[in-house]
Amino acid sequence: MTNTINNVEFVRNLVEDNYKVNKTEVIDQYQVSFEVEKEEVHRLLAQLRSEGWIQMSYLSAIDWIADNEFELVYIVFNWEKPVYIQVRTRLDRDNPVMESIMPIHPGCKYYEREAHEYFGIEFPGNPDFHKPLILEDWDDMPPLRKDFDPRAYSDAHFSSREYPETHENTLGQESKVAQRESRMARVFKVGKGGKK
Amino acid sequence: MMVGILTGFGVALFGFVWQTSLGGISRKVVARLQKRYGPKWYQEFLDIFKLLSKRATSHGWIFDLGVIMALGGIIATAAFMPVTNDIFAFADFDNFFIYVYLIAVGMLGMAMSASGSGNPLASIGVMRALTTMLAYEVPFMVIVMVIIKHAGTSSLRGIAMAQQDAGMWYMVALPLGFIVAFICLLGMLGKKPFETYIAPAELASGPMVEYGGKQLGMLFIMHEITVFIEVSLFVHLFLGGAENIFVFLLKYFVVYSVANLVSNVNGRFKIDQVVVFFYKWILPLAMIQAFVALYMNGWWN
Amino acid sequence: MESTKFSPITKLSKEEVDRKWWEIGDFFRRNSLWMLMYCTGCCAIELPPAMTSAYDMERLGMGPMATPRQADVLLVTGYLSLKTLRRVIYTYEQMSEPKYIVGFGSCTINGGIYHDSHVVINQLDQYIPVDTYVAGCMPNTEAVMNGFIDLMSLIKNKKADGWKRYKENYEWYKKNQIDSLGEVQVHDEYHQ
Repeated sequence: MTNTINNVEFVRNLVEDNYKVNKTEVIDQYQVSFEVEKEEVHRLLAQLRSEGWIQMSYLSAIDWIADNEFELVYIVFNWEKPVYIQVRTRLDRDNPVMESIMPIHPGCKYYEREAHEYFGIEFPGNPDFHKPLILEDWDDMPPLRKDFDPRAYSDAHFSSREYPETHENTLGQESKVAQRESRMARVFKVGKGGKK
Repeated sequence: MMVGILTGFGVALFGFVWQTSLGGISRKVVARLQKRYGPKWYQEFLDIFKLLSKRATSHGWIFDLGVIMALGGIIATAAFMPVTNDIFAFADFDNFFIYVYLIAVGMLGMAMSASGSGNPLASIGVMRALTTMLAYEVPFMVIVMVIIKHAGTSSLRGIAMAQQDAGMWYMVALPLGFIVAFICLLGMLGKKPFETYIAPAELASGPMVEYGGKQLGMLFIMHEITVFIEVSLFVHLFLGGAENIFVFLLKYFVVYSVANLVSNVNGRFKIDQVVVFFYKWILPLAMIQAFVALYMNGWWN
Repeated sequence: MESTKFSPITKLSKEEVDRKWWEIGDFFRRNSLWMLMYCTGCCAIELPPAMTSAYDMERLGMGPMATPRQADVLLVTGYLSLKTLRRVIYTYEQMSEPKYIVGFGSCTINGGIYHDSHVVINQLDQYIPVDTYVAGCMPNTEAVMNGFIDLMSLIKNKKADGWKRYKENYEWYKKNQIDSLGEVQVHDEYHQ
């Protein structure tokens, strides 16, 4: 127990003493989240990697359309001192460009391609971030932005089945409400059952 | 001569009908083992006729020619097989080595057409089939040479009648050889521990990946007749042939059922495990059996 | 009473002979259906209960088969995204005729719970001809067996002619495919 509190404290000391952190959040004993400026992300991730946070678990983005910003989230993990560290930055929504972190974690290549495809964030430094990974022949705006309406797209491109609007009783049964009421009436008419 | 050819076709047709029915029955047996009902006993017939009624695409003339060559070769091989002591087609050509040659024609036809289809999975399947054949042929030939030396003749009817005259089958006289030949039979039939060359979910059926419709139907017929030839060979060599047709059918049924039951509780080996298994365990057993049978004949007297 | 020796023997016309051959073929085809289980979505999890002990599929003659060239029935289980639909069309056109399609689950009928998604198509039989549907989300295993028996009786009544409809209305199907998919050629990194 004291070991993990030491881990989180170790991480907080390591990051907050050396970098300008906008917001810290300790989620539980295994997860910490820091929000830093865009220019410090590379230095922070490189230092974390040299301290033992070698696995890049996730890289994705959140679309804050009201603030007109994207928030990039990098999640790294250490197998010796098990703490998930989330590194968050804010990008401008009209020109989202973020230098790729492939020199630090080469495995982020496909995550950055996915972020480009679904949000439109560009990663110069990643040699083929513009190639489509999941969607083929996509010609509309990046789909996970909040101002993309998937229902309008679906109605425009895919035909949907039409059902007739009549509600006829083709089998000649009573309505379900009438069946339920006659059932309850039967139950209460019989009474509690059994001999007195 | 004409009577011989007609009898040969009759034997091939009888083998096909008997083996196809037996395939359906063994599917039912396996299904009952797994606590479910199985298909009908004539299900394999329905499968083959359904395949023969579909239109499929062809990949060129080598593709079609290979299938026809395989089927024709196997029917010709089956024509030489004696069924009992009295039902046989060609009296002079009843030799064990004819089967060794002619089964290769069937394999070669399938290999030719599988490589003509251009799919890399077919080439892998054919390569694995030939590797498995390399693995099981050597111990099998050792045991059969021992039997031929002991019986003095290489004619199948001669070997069967030698066992009937002596009153003891080779299954009892050469027990290690019987075990070796049974495991080689599992390899020849392509049954479960050695099923690498078909490998249904791994290679998408190996050599049969590009066939559909009529070509696949003909390949299935070829497979059924091949099974008939191999199990009959085993019955004649180790279980003493048969005096009449009912004894033959009974022995065939027992051998095929035991092979099927053994194969259904096993997984599938990889191809390197197959070769290592045959050369490490089966070949020394065959050598020991050969040594005991040839040089220590009667030392216990 | 007329003796049959002098009354004219009715000869079957060519159409009737063809029809009788086709009926025999239908008997074989409906009693031994081989399925290619193209498990696109979550409804694929209803197939193992139909194959194993309690609701045995093998007694109807059906069995799984490994490649599209050897299979008769294409089971489209679950929702279809655009990428999958291109590959399903490739697979369907590779199968040998006569061939049938069974659509599983609500997602093939009208889009199901993914009807307002930008990558899931809503109606399967605009793109490939479907013979019968099995409704549900997921369908019950008894409904699955019922669907297979419906397919067998459709084959018996000669109403399972999806492959003929595909050939006759090929331009209509192609127009729908290109409208929704863009193009049916598969372009990804592994096919260049």
